[in-house]
Amino acid sequence: MTDSGAESASPPSVELEAIRKRFGPVVALDGVDLEAFSGEVHALVGENGAGKTTLMGVLSGVVRADEGVIRIAGRPVRLAKPRDAWAAGIGMVHQHLTLVPTLTVLENVALGVRSAAWGLRLPFDQVRSRLDALSNETGLSVDPDVVVERLSVGERQRVEILKVLYRDPRVLVLDEPTSVLAPQEVEEFFSVLRGLASEGRTVLLILHKIDEILAVADRVTVLRGGRVVHSGVSDTMDSGSLARLMIGRAVAAHEPPRPSEPGAELVRLEGVSARGSKGEMALRDVHLTVRRGEIVGVAGVDGNGQRELALILAGAESPEFGTVHLPDTVGFIPADRLGEALVPDFDLTQNVALALTEAPRYRQGALLRWGRLRSATARLMDLHGVGAPTPAVRAWQLSGGNQQKLVVGRELMRSQNLLIARNPTRGLDVAAGRFVKDELRRMSRSSAGEEGEDPPGVVVISSDLDEVLELSDRIFVLRRGRLLAVPEDRRTREFVGALMVAHAGDPSE
Amino acid sequence: MAVASEPVDFVRRVARLGLWLAFLSSACQPPGEDAGAPFQVALLTSGPVSDAGWYAGAYEGLQMIADSFGAHISHQQTRTPAEFDEAFFAYASSGYDLIFAHGFEYQDAAIRAGAEFPETTIIVSAGGRVAHNVIPLIFQLEEGSYLAGIAAGSLTKTGVIGMVGGVAIPPAEGTFDAFEAGAKSVRPDVEVLVTWIGSWNDVTAAKEAAVALLRRDVDILIHNTDAASFGVFQAVREARGDGRDVWAMGMNRDQNDVAPELILGSAVIRIPEGFVEITRLWYDGDLPGEAYYAGSKASLVDYVVNPARVAEYTPELLALLEETRTGIREGTVDIPRIQFVSDEEANR
Amino acid sequence: MLTPGTRVNRLLRFGGLGVALAALLITGVVAVGALVAGGYDPGVALGALVRGAVGSPEQFFSVTLVRSVPLILTGLAVALAFRAGVWNIGAEGQLYAGAMAGVWIGLAAGDLPGWIVVPLVLVVASTAGAVWALVPTLMRLRLGVGEVITTILMNFVAIHLVGYMVHGPLQESRGVFPQTDALAAAARLPALIPGTRLHVGFAVAVLLGVALWLVLRGTVFGFRLRAVGQSPAAARITGRIDGKRVILVTFLASGALAGLAGAMEVSGRTFALYEGLSPGWGYTAIAVALLAGLHPMGVVAVGIMFGALEGGAGAMQREAGIPAAWVSGIEALVILAVLAAGQGRKWLVQTRLERGRPAEASVG
Repeated sequence: MTDSGAESASPPSVELEAIRKRFGPVVALDGVDLEAFSGEVHALVGENGAGKTTLMGVLSGVVRADEGVIRIAGRPVRLAKPRDAWAAGIGMVHQHLTLVPTLTVLENVALGVRSAAWGLRLPFDQVRSRLDALSNETGLSVDPDVVVERLSVGERQRVEILKVLYRDPRVLVLDEPTSVLAPQEVEEFFSVLRGLASEGRTVLLILHKIDEILAVADRVTVLRGGRVVHSGVSDTMDSGSLARLMIGRAVAAHEPPRPSEPGAELVRLEGVSARGSKGEMALRDVHLTVRRGEIVGVAGVDGNGQRELALILAGAESPEFGTVHLPDTVGFIPADRLGEALVPDFDLTQNVALALTEAPRYRQGALLRWGRLRSATARLMDLHGVGAPTPAVRAWQLSGGNQQKLVVGRELMRSQNLLIARNPTRGLDVAAGRFVKDELRRMSRSSAGEEGEDPPGVVVISSDLDEVLELSDRIFVLRRGRLLAVPEDRRTREFVGALMVAHAGDPSE
Repeated sequence: MAVASEPVDFVRRVARLGLWLAFLSSACQPPGEDAGAPFQVALLTSGPVSDAGWYAGAYEGLQMIADSFGAHISHQQTRTPAEFDEAFFAYASSGYDLIFAHGFEYQDAAIRAGAEFPETTIIVSAGGRVAHNVIPLIFQLEEGSYLAGIAAGSLTKTGVIGMVGGVAIPPAEGTFDAFEAGAKSVRPDVEVLVTWIGSWNDVTAAKEAAVALLRRDVDILIHNTDAASFGVFQAVREARGDGRDVWAMGMNRDQNDVAPELILGSAVIRIPEGFVEITRLWYDGDLPGEAYYAGSKASLVDYVVNPARVAEYTPELLALLEETRTGIREGTVDIPRIQFVSDEEANR
Repeated sequence: MLTPGTRVNRLLRFGGLGVALAALLITGVVAVGALVAGGYDPGVALGALVRGAVGSPEQFFSVTLVRSVPLILTGLAVALAFRAGVWNIGAEGQLYAGAMAGVWIGLAAGDLPGWIVVPLVLVVASTAGAVWALVPTLMRLRLGVGEVITTILMNFVAIHLVGYMVHGPLQESRGVFPQTDALAAAARLPALIPGTRLHVGFAVAVLLGVALWLVLRGTVFGFRLRAVGQSPAAARITGRIDGKRVILVTFLASGALAGLAGAMEVSGRTFALYEGLSPGWGYTAIAVALLAGLHPMGVVAVGIMFGALEGGAGAMQREAGIPAAWVSGIEALVILAVLAAGQGRKWLVQTRLERGRPAEASVG
């Protein structure tokens, strides 16, 4: 299967052989073989639900494989619990960050340190000198005495990685590490990963975006339906062949954006300022208009006022200063899926109902029409390919991508004048992301739907620059609470990307 | 929490569990009446019988009834007035002949149960309602506290004496009225200070009240509380430690040996003997259909001089106490009493 | 086909019953151990327990079901509030407020015919319970003060207010004992089954359980209430739900249910107000509600179970001579076992959750 034989002098640092894992009747991993060598960045790719996360779980000791052999540096190991993985030299950087926000960087790292004297005093001095050395070595610089909640998401991820590197693992495993980073940060992050690999470590990571995979990985293993469909050196691949491998068919080229014909004005924000959750000024003097039939893109790194702008546009919060004019029906796709978009312990039908309690079609006086809600949910799942056995599973049981499909599909179901979408394709694989983008565009271009009304307006607020560039008729950047318009003739990755991150590392304001 | 969408199932399962329990219960037969015992006696208390006071005395009485008459006995501690009817019904319907309900709070339920079970006799301690088979048992503690008042009025040097009370209900107020009357009978200018702490068992509140009274020149302190009395004694002990010449007196039961160095004597009710006396009258068919007053006459109430502190008493005082005791028994000494018994059946 | 998802769902759904049975089992084992250690015959003691609870129709109706009424009503009050994320620990105080108001109106209007007085007592008592809950509600909604502490404090206020009332304004007309006059026959709840002490309060409690279940399950308001309780942020942002209004209505309804429990006691059992009317039903209600998985019909079932346990406990004292302290200890063991079993369920679900996540990725 492997078409690279040059490294065979030393055994692979990670070697998986015929790994199988079933959850009930569902086969998650169906005989997976994988070899990763020291000194390489190895990308694990595939669609939502291909088995990537399960495989990472097997490697980090969270999921126990039913069959198969795991060898680390040539020696077979049993990974029954996370501690076994640590002992074998495997360090896992989690997708959801695990830092204590009210403690400093140093304290967070020290918390992860096992010490003979634990309970009396954590070995801060020792941790500090080792942390400094690690920072110099890897280029992951971060002030050890800053409280974590004052750090940007990208900086927090650095701390997370340092915390794992502190234990000096030979194999570093990362699950979708770039989803929280700005484009410029991604570049920087990739060079850190290459540096770590060049020191003889193995870096295994899950990635979704094809250009990122091709940019960073030495080798790529493609999973589909619990099997390895390809494993090879990335130099031999291009984005077309990689996408075909991942989905098993060619991706239709997306339709070129039709020029928008903006209609009546829908939204007008004038001089809007608002405070964030900690009382800081999160939005400053924001002016914005949105018209029917256009998609307005707001690019920017999360934490620069995105949440506040979205909530004001969605009508869920009012600003401290300024005036807001909104249409009467606004759809909203929040960024925080399990916090704001879904009720984790509700089943899928109930989560669909959550957005529809006002809709006359689904009500009969004070009662909800559960029959109609159930069939609507089934239709939605079918249309958007939400992967769940029945609508009766709980939202938390879905993978991130499937949650996103449900949230987006739910908003597309409703007829509305304005749709606010935050990171609409985050966590979606190529095909699902394409579907959502097409739907958003279709919606904004259609002479909208059944009632023959004018098309709605759409605002995409996203940290994914490509998404914004691809979808938007007009582009803004939201940075440190200020909304900056991007001129029509400067819609380039470089220009917008630079606007997004300028001074973004200074969270003190 | 999850929403069980099959609650009917849930209920059905619980119901099935109930059936199993019912089956189990039919398997174990209830104990037959104690064939050897001449009669059955039950006691209801609304507090623990380990209190070394009011409830403990009742339980001791119950055991003495078992010992003296060979009766079959049983006790239940009720936690709420809502359980009273249930307890009376349970005892009366399983053939108990005599039920002691040890507290005024049982009186309404006792009247209801008495009407339903005319064959059962219910004795309500400190109760206020009478029916032909519901008999209040009134301990005339005021007789003992009148004697205590004579001793306090004679022995005070400052001329100020104090009382710390639990809950201000008429029987308790009656004891203090009598104490004051006793003191004034020997020293008309004596000043009497009272504090109610609102609880029978709050030791801290009792101690604070006692300290405040001692600060106001009180040199003899009596109480009418239950476990809270320890707070009163502690306050007196500390004042004596500071060199003050102050004393305490006990109440309800003989507390002379609780703190022999500082207690002059105790006004006592003899609850166990009272229960035995009542049972004897009932057994002989002599129990009248009216309130039973347990007092000095039957030696069920008294003032007991602390033998360790008898030196504080002058022979004249001891003689006066004996003379008054006899006078109370013979009805020649008049002491203040509160009348709180009404005839329920007559009122209907 | 059982997918991991439905397996976890089934676990969650039937977890409530599993917890109840596990709690019973653990309690049974510990209780027998304690009885043997104390030198009592566990056979006699547990026999008395079972007979006292369900040994005869008379015991079942007049003891177990009668005792279950305040437990069901306060349990419903707690379950409803907890469902909406309102931590009402104040059912005890709300019960006393209802008992005070119910006795007051029952005494004042005792001359009117029963079909007027009894509903009047129940309505006034519910209102009083709601008013008692209004203070913590407003403190939470207007000032952001957590209701856990305020409801507990309101309990103390209510308990002491009862003390003041029975020594003062509401004391019996003779002014001797700290209790109110007895309610006239017209103000007393009629019997549900003639010849037993079971009053119509039991039927009211069960019907309210059914009604709450239907409201939570089928109505828009019930759905919004659950959403607010599960995830206030998602309810506000995605559901566009006015969380404050939901909390206001739920909190007051919870107080009204607890107040109703107080009315049922004074009007159905004691016929007068006393200090210490409640042995802590408002707190036991929390155990009842949690053991029932916050499900209204579960509360009815668990309320009856607890009623049986308490009824049986009385019989254990009377027939087996087990001291009250032991009996209370065994009851406390049940609550501890509930908590332990509940924690076990949480652990069980969490384990499945951790193992379930990657599985779901593959399901998708």
